[in-house]
Amino acid sequence: MTDTTLSLALVLYALAGFAGVAAFRRARAWRAGQPARVDWVAGLRALPRRYLVDVHHVVGRDPFTARMHALTAGGLLAGSLLVLLSPLPGLGGSRLFWGVVALLFAAMLAGGAMVRRRRVPVTPPRLSRGRFAFLPLLLIGYAAGALLVALDGASGGWLWPLGWLGLWLAAAAGLGLVNQIERGPMRHVVAGALHLAAHPRPGRFEGRRETALAPLDLDAPRLGTETPADFAWNRLLGFDACIQCGRCEVACPAFAAGQPLNPKKLIQDLVATLEPGGSNAAYAGSPYPHARPVAGRGGPDQPIIGREAMIHPDTLWSCTTCRACVEECPMMIEHVDAIVSLRRHQTLELGAVPEKAAPALAELRYADDAQGRPLAARTDFAAGTPLPLIAARGEAEILLWLGEGAYDMRHGRSLRALLKLLHLAKVDVAVLGPEERDCGDLARRLGDEATFQRLARENVATLARYRFARILTADPHALHVLRNEYPAFGGHYEVVHHTAFLDELVAAGRLAPGALALAGVTYHDPCYLGRYNGEVDAPRRLLDRLGLDRVEMARHGRRSMCCGGGGGAPLSDVEGETRIPDLRMEQAKATGAGIVAVACPQCTAMLEGVTGDRPEVRDIAELVLMAVEAAPARPTRQPEPVA
Amino acid sequence: MKITVLLSAGRHPVSARPCPPAVELQALRLASGLAADITGLHAGPSADGVADALGHGLSTLNLLTIKGDSDPLVSLAATLKATTPDLILAGRQAQGGEDSGLLPYALARELGLPILADVVRIDAGGEGLLAVEQVLPRGARRRVVLRLPALLTVHPAAPAPLPFTFAAARRGKITQLQGVDSQPPSAAPEERPYRKRPKLIAKSAAGASAADRLKAATEAAAGGGRLLVNPAPAEAAREIITHLREIGVLRR
Ligand code: SF4
Ligand code: SF4
Repeated sequence: MTDTTLSLALVLYALAGFAGVAAFRRARAWRAGQPARVDWVAGLRALPRRYLVDVHHVVGRDPFTARMHALTAGGLLAGSLLVLLSPLPGLGGSRLFWGVVALLFAAMLAGGAMVRRRRVPVTPPRLSRGRFAFLPLLLIGYAAGALLVALDGASGGWLWPLGWLGLWLAAAAGLGLVNQIERGPMRHVVAGALHLAAHPRPGRFEGRRETALAPLDLDAPRLGTETPADFAWNRLLGFDACIQCGRCEVACPAFAAGQPLNPKKLIQDLVATLEPGGSNAAYAGSPYPHARPVAGRGGPDQPIIGREAMIHPDTLWSCTTCRACVEECPMMIEHVDAIVSLRRHQTLELGAVPEKAAPALAELRYADDAQGRPLAARTDFAAGTPLPLIAARGEAEILLWLGEGAYDMRHGRSLRALLKLLHLAKVDVAVLGPEERDCGDLARRLGDEATFQRLARENVATLARYRFARILTADPHALHVLRNEYPAFGGHYEVVHHTAFLDELVAAGRLAPGALALAGVTYHDPCYLGRYNGEVDAPRRLLDRLGLDRVEMARHGRRSMCCGGGGGAPLSDVEGETRIPDLRMEQAKATGAGIVAVACPQCTAMLEGVTGDRPEVRDIAELVLMAVEAAPARPTRQPEPVA
Repeated sequence: MKITVLLSAGRHPVSARPCPPAVELQALRLASGLAADITGLHAGPSADGVADALGHGLSTLNLLTIKGDSDPLVSLAATLKATTPDLILAGRQAQGGEDSGLLPYALARELGLPILADVVRIDAGGEGLLAVEQVLPRGARRRVVLRLPALLTVHPAAPAPLPFTFAAARRGKITQLQGVDSQPPSAAPEERPYRKRPKLIAKSAAGASAADRLKAATEAAAGGGRLLVNPAPAEAAREIITHLREIGVLRR
């Protein structure tokens, strides 16, 4: 071993020690949180897979960043590890060994240059400045320094003047990096790795749909999250993992519409509250658009929400719970869980709900419908179409869950089309009629967990009285709640969305659509169907079966943009610059399509509310009915297997 | 200031489930702007539905248990005579079925208190006084200064109720007290032969245009008459009699 390489190894031991101390000190902040059940063994064992597969699946959507991160992180970790191992006999003496180390640091140097490259000529708005602007210099300095030392080692000591220079450079930049662990970008390395192992929704990494909100214990002394200490500790850890990449900010519909919400800033505000006397002053990324004034102070035991605290209530109520931020976050942070948990406290403990949400919640409480309409009127839309009640028969093959869209005249049209199709395909279908209560989606997203749980229990009890094979619904919100959130209340159902069901019927030859000669159609994925339930193929397959000329918007599938209708956002009605549905309609218009195909009553209502010259809004059921009615006769088709 | 809010066992107009009437929750909101400690008072067989008022800014609910068909007036009057609150608030009408809206008046007579109806705003007006805003028909408002103790009924145009707070409802205290059972309020309703009531909508000449008919109808709805500010009593009486003759209520 040359003097320089040995010194580098010693420096790295020191740095590793400092890093350990810094990480340990930061870990004290997470300990303020509530206990959580974490399977450490499974988590740690799965860590490499979660990192290399799941994280890189997200990071890889942006190939430049993916390469940048692979080079930087790979070079840094592998190179530093080898240097730490170099004192082992037989390693440090080998010139080949140092050649490999030099290669790794050269890779890191390239990565560091790419980190810097992103900010040239100007830093894009989604990236943070402040400490983050400093990071590329530290990475480049550390990589270049270590590279010089390794080259000296590889040359057998011939390059010793460069080696010493490199050593000082690596030591100085390395100290800088270690300093960024406790507060700064390098924290994401430690917190991110631990967060992957102790993730509150481990099922996400096993291909399960982990999108259901967790039930709240309504007998707990304090309901929902008031202070950071009310979060589970691994949630706090998750917030700390944020690398301020701004992907969530770019995806957030409320941010795009100029409402005072930016998921990245929200997470950073939560991070700022982890320390006593915390303040939001150090944040150097995009602010909340039209931010409402707040004190910007907080601490582990201080309230998070409020004008005198860290986050303004308008920020909290702007969220549509669309999960776009969660989908985009490379650090696997669960923004929506945090937002709903904070809302629960506002609603259940403080009664601080948005003005228009209070009457809706009251009607849900006393009349099981958000507008206090008679439950028996839910079937009025059918107007003459036979609609058997399951109470009269006790069983049916398909139970049709109508949802609150049934009261709406516009969505009633879609439901009538669906009913007609079911009738043509001779499906044995029945409805609950006056026994169907609101599914509770709205109450739950607005934080009124008490009302949600009551509705869930009563609906589960009603459903238990009847026999049916599957529940069919045209409302993705009801679908999500029935399929994913009722199991916690003892209701386990097979729930199918009408797009998937119609797709089955056409595939089985029970419906024979003719070809539709319509102007191009673009499909808008409902958040609660696409992102929450991963169903993005069936609707598209179905549209293709109609012979439609289908074009995609830039944001589609699981990365689709919200219509603005979820999470009670239309009730909260937080003022912004534009409306979310206007933005989405612009995107639809940009495809040149004449029709936006929708599959959700909320999307229908929001997009139909867009004024001016725009594509027409049609539910997929309406399009299928048009195609079936356009078919010349009813040819008997060979059933084909359901894809 | 000691405030008691009268709460009735209401039912939701659509679902018929027990539910506090909105106007009583609005009364609670007005009360919570005046004092922190508000007592709710209900006389009835149970606290079903009534107890939810605890989630709308009420801290304590006193429940006077009486049989279902008893007249609540007796129990309420007895309790209020004993507790002597400075201010008693009630909704303008309960929402449970055959509610006449007469109870606040009967109670005020029983207690010998002044009553002011249809209040939408209450401010403390100095020692023992209240400044109150009262709703008059057709959007008019009247400011009244009133000496306590008094009984006020609240109008639906008052500010919306405070949102329901589950945790507060869970924390709220219900004190059960024995009420006084008594006769049902009234026996059989009085029956009278049907008499056609005079129409208050002015008629326009047959064959007039739709616009004329609309004008006639809306003008009548808008009152027509004259507005006299601080008239002499005799003049006011003459004016009223003339008006009643004009619209055919008085024949002679
Ligand atoms: S929350 Fe996730 S997506 Fe948003 S800035 Fe942080 S790491 Fe990036
Ligand atoms: S869930 Fe949607 S609206 Fe809410 S913060 Fe995330 S991206 Fe924004």
